[in-house]
Amino acid sequence: MTGERAMTNKEQNAPVLVIGAGIAGIEASLLLANSGRKVYLVEKTSYIGGNVIKFEEVFPNMDCATCMIAPKQQELLANENIELLTLSQVEAVSGSFGDFSVKIRKKARYVDLENCIGCDACFDPCPVEVDNEFEERLLKRKAIYVPCAGALPNVPAIDTENCLRFKGQDCKACQEACMFEAIDYTQQDEDIDLKVGAIVIATGFSMFDISKTTEYGYKKLSGVYSAMEAERICASNGPTQGQIILQGGEPPKSVAIIHCVGRKEKGYCSSVCCMASLKLSHFIKAKLPEVKISQFYSDLCIPGKAYQKFYEEVKESGVDFIRAVVTEVSKSGNELAIKYKTEDGKENTLTVDMVILNPALEPGADSSKLAEILNIPQSKDGFFSEKQPDLTSVDTIKEGIFIAGCAQSPKDIAETVAEAEATAGRILSLSK
Amino acid sequence: MAKKIGVYVCECGTNIAEKVDIDKVIAAVSPIKDVEVAERHKLLCSDGGKEFIKQSIAEHGLTHVVVAACSPKQHEVTFMNVCEQAGINPQLSQLANIREQCAWVTSSAEEATDKAIRQIRAAISRVKYHAPLKKKEVVVSPDVLVIGGGIAGIKASQLLAAPDRKVYLVEKASSLGGKVKSFSKLFTNMESGSSLITQEIKSLLDNKNIEVLTESEVEQILGFLGNFEVKVIRKAEGKEQNFNVGAVVLATGFELFDPKGLPQYGYGKLDDVYTSLEFEEMNIPDGPTGGKVLLKNGKPPESVAIIHCVGREEKDYCSKVCCLYSFKFDRMLQSQLPGVKVSHFYSDLCIPGKSFQKFYEGTKEMGVEFVRSAKTEVTGNGKGLTVKYETEFGKQDSSTTDMVILLPAMESSGDAQKFAEMLNIPLDEKGFLVEEHQLLSPVSSAVEGIFVVGCAQGPQSISESIVQSEAAAGKILSALVPGRKLELEVRVSEISESLCLGCKTCIDVCPYGAITFDETRRISVVNEVLCHGCGNCAAACPSGAARLKHFTFPQIYQELKEVLR
Repeated sequence: MTGERAMTNKEQNAPVLVIGAGIAGIEASLLLANSGRKVYLVEKTSYIGGNVIKFEEVFPNMDCATCMIAPKQQELLANENIELLTLSQVEAVSGSFGDFSVKIRKKARYVDLENCIGCDACFDPCPVEVDNEFEERLLKRKAIYVPCAGALPNVPAIDTENCLRFKGQDCKACQEACMFEAIDYTQQDEDIDLKVGAIVIATGFSMFDISKTTEYGYKKLSGVYSAMEAERICASNGPTQGQIILQGGEPPKSVAIIHCVGRKEKGYCSSVCCMASLKLSHFIKAKLPEVKISQFYSDLCIPGKAYQKFYEEVKESGVDFIRAVVTEVSKSGNELAIKYKTEDGKENTLTVDMVILNPALEPGADSSKLAEILNIPQSKDGFFSEKQPDLTSVDTIKEGIFIAGCAQSPKDIAETVAEAEATAGRILSLSK
Repeated sequence: MAKKIGVYVCECGTNIAEKVDIDKVIAAVSPIKDVEVAERHKLLCSDGGKEFIKQSIAEHGLTHVVVAACSPKQHEVTFMNVCEQAGINPQLSQLANIREQCAWVTSSAEEATDKAIRQIRAAISRVKYHAPLKKKEVVVSPDVLVIGGGIAGIKASQLLAAPDRKVYLVEKASSLGGKVKSFSKLFTNMESGSSLITQEIKSLLDNKNIEVLTESEVEQILGFLGNFEVKVIRKAEGKEQNFNVGAVVLATGFELFDPKGLPQYGYGKLDDVYTSLEFEEMNIPDGPTGGKVLLKNGKPPESVAIIHCVGREEKDYCSKVCCLYSFKFDRMLQSQLPGVKVSHFYSDLCIPGKSFQKFYEGTKEMGVEFVRSAKTEVTGNGKGLTVKYETEFGKQDSSTTDMVILLPAMESSGDAQKFAEMLNIPLDEKGFLVEEHQLLSPVSSAVEGIFVVGCAQGPQSISESIVQSEAAAGKILSALVPGRKLELEVRVSEISESLCLGCKTCIDVCPYGAITFDETRRISVVNEVLCHGCGNCAAACPSGAARLKHFTFPQIYQELKEVLR
């Protein structure tokens, strides 16, 4: 940009720090690395792919999400310009555009990334069983684990909070089962100091905690699920291997999908939930053609050229759309009774055996801490604030620090990827 | 030269070894002709394993390598690199997948061992027919052609222009600025769009690395990523200009759906029924009314009806930004005409993202009325206008108003079709340019090196259009680095000049536009820069002229023969 200052030698070809290895972080890293830049990609979990790999299929073309993103993940892992730091978090940042100093805390994985071949032999002997967070706690995992089949890097990590050895017991079950001497209890957490020229924030989203609401019976009534739980139930690598079944093991005969859960509390439209609800309807209907699906919504938000058609397809497949506010979900025999009020003030009840609640999107869990470290303002809801909201969503008020994806505001995959590419465009053009 | 093949069988810990009898496999493949050495290893992909192969290659003076291990998806590149480091052309290697396709999926150990032997035999037989394909590099131009001088095209040009990268910005109109030029205010900050665009144009014109060609039309673009030949007609001078670029950004923008096609709104027949763009123009100081919102009779309106989703049903999509800019209109009306009664007739509010709900609530606080309605009609009796509609619950209702503003659907500009045809980029059924992948490559097109940004590819806000321009810049700056050559895929297709009958079947099945027809020789020709080696042409060619390198008929035959023997 002509209005901006010319490059200095320091900025030119300086490495870039990308925070978050979801689809946004992956795309930004690949573009920067392919231009010849060194990229440090910092990810707090043990795997890459973020939220996208939790979805069996993504709207509107019902692409298999893991298949869609796998080539990008492979390319990322093979790219020599990208240094992936998993189980890592940014602890401190100082300096300015072209010359940032970054402190990273990298937790030990206790499994050697080079030696491990991902054969899973260490899982069975591990005596510990805990809830698998990746599976929305619908499934157990071991203390040495990968979050789901197909996770990349395909190397487990030891969860030191639950591992018996790290609780003081002399358990070596996993080490004994490993044929490649990949398990190393002596690994230490590391502090890593980096010098980078620019930073991309791609920390993604989390979901509004539905337990904060009382009207929907979430976590109290059997058969009431959050959208992310439903996504995992639909996933072929998930807790039910993709069989849509209720806790009793039977498939539901009728499903209600409730939109805008938490919208009132959050005070914004989360942009993707209407489409996500339509997608779940489409998916469930394809697996269970006889199922009756009703959607409770207030305004359908299906922006852009591609989504209306999808909505019409779902509607034609026999899904009911009820414009109403759900006031209560309660137990009614073996079923769930949904009490709702239409805009003319009339009250009605519908009984179903499965309820899916579609909650608002919130910024990723550690956004506030990171905002403080980077000294970037947040909206009152915790999303990173862009410099000029109506012009581009990727610039922050701090030169050299950019945002991509849901860290800035709820958005769909296409917009997220475009923003990731845009951060690369901004960085590569600023330091040309 | 005699062939000397090394065969390396990986135990993969117990993954392969516990199902496949590796000693038996080694014994079975060792006597095969040209096999110089066959050995087993605990884990070939480990550093030790790779070193083991390298030393063995040197020790035995090998010419070809077969590795029997996991899926090529996982480690083909690993072992190709080992070969390259050991001085063997990496294409002269072959990976037999005896893990995923054998050990993991075969229940009987005996059958698994037999299957592994067949797979390795097939790989040995195949690798002898491999050609030492060489990597090729081509010189590319880092320069870029941007088509369309609206906000998207301006922003893309600014980001791309650099001392070592020239940008040509071609605009068919006599001035830059596109639609934003006529927006007196932008949502949500209510700043002036026209002054924003004026500043942007100024900085663009000051940039020595951007050549702006207004009143110009792109007549022809020929070529491929890194090397497009462009012909532009400068209409004012009546001159032709030719130049070469490495990439093209299409930012041809939008038009509004013409409400004349929908007589129920009275547009074009009744006075004081305007489109949103006409209302915008009414608000700019040098517009037709000097910036004043006035009725045809010269008086300001006391009530205004804003009708959403005009043409949505006909177009079959939501135009994404109309709800948002309608709230901007509310503010423009209230600030110019305090107390004016404004009513919105809408079906669903589409206000996605963290900041628009607040913008909407601000509108409601100003006393603006929102009426959920369907089948909206506008009638007039010479004194005023009446909006008739059906409520959510099937009741007929109406209200009178002085002025109606229609919010028509956004359509891609007619130029999208012109460039789709010129560049062989698909248009969707609605007339928008299609992205390479709707989610993963949202600004790329099916033709490598051609990018589609802004409303040319779908309704978009200003901010989204700018992000897409920045995204296209990111893709281009990443791929076309000045001074760097482009490395080409080696496993591409080739078409035999003597066998080609000129039937063009291959051109129809090529998803990358990599095959063109040479009219003088009457044959199809593959462009190696664009070919991704998918093999469609080789499979479809009725005369056997199209051939995919590394997947030739003899190679596949040799492989199958040994698997099935």
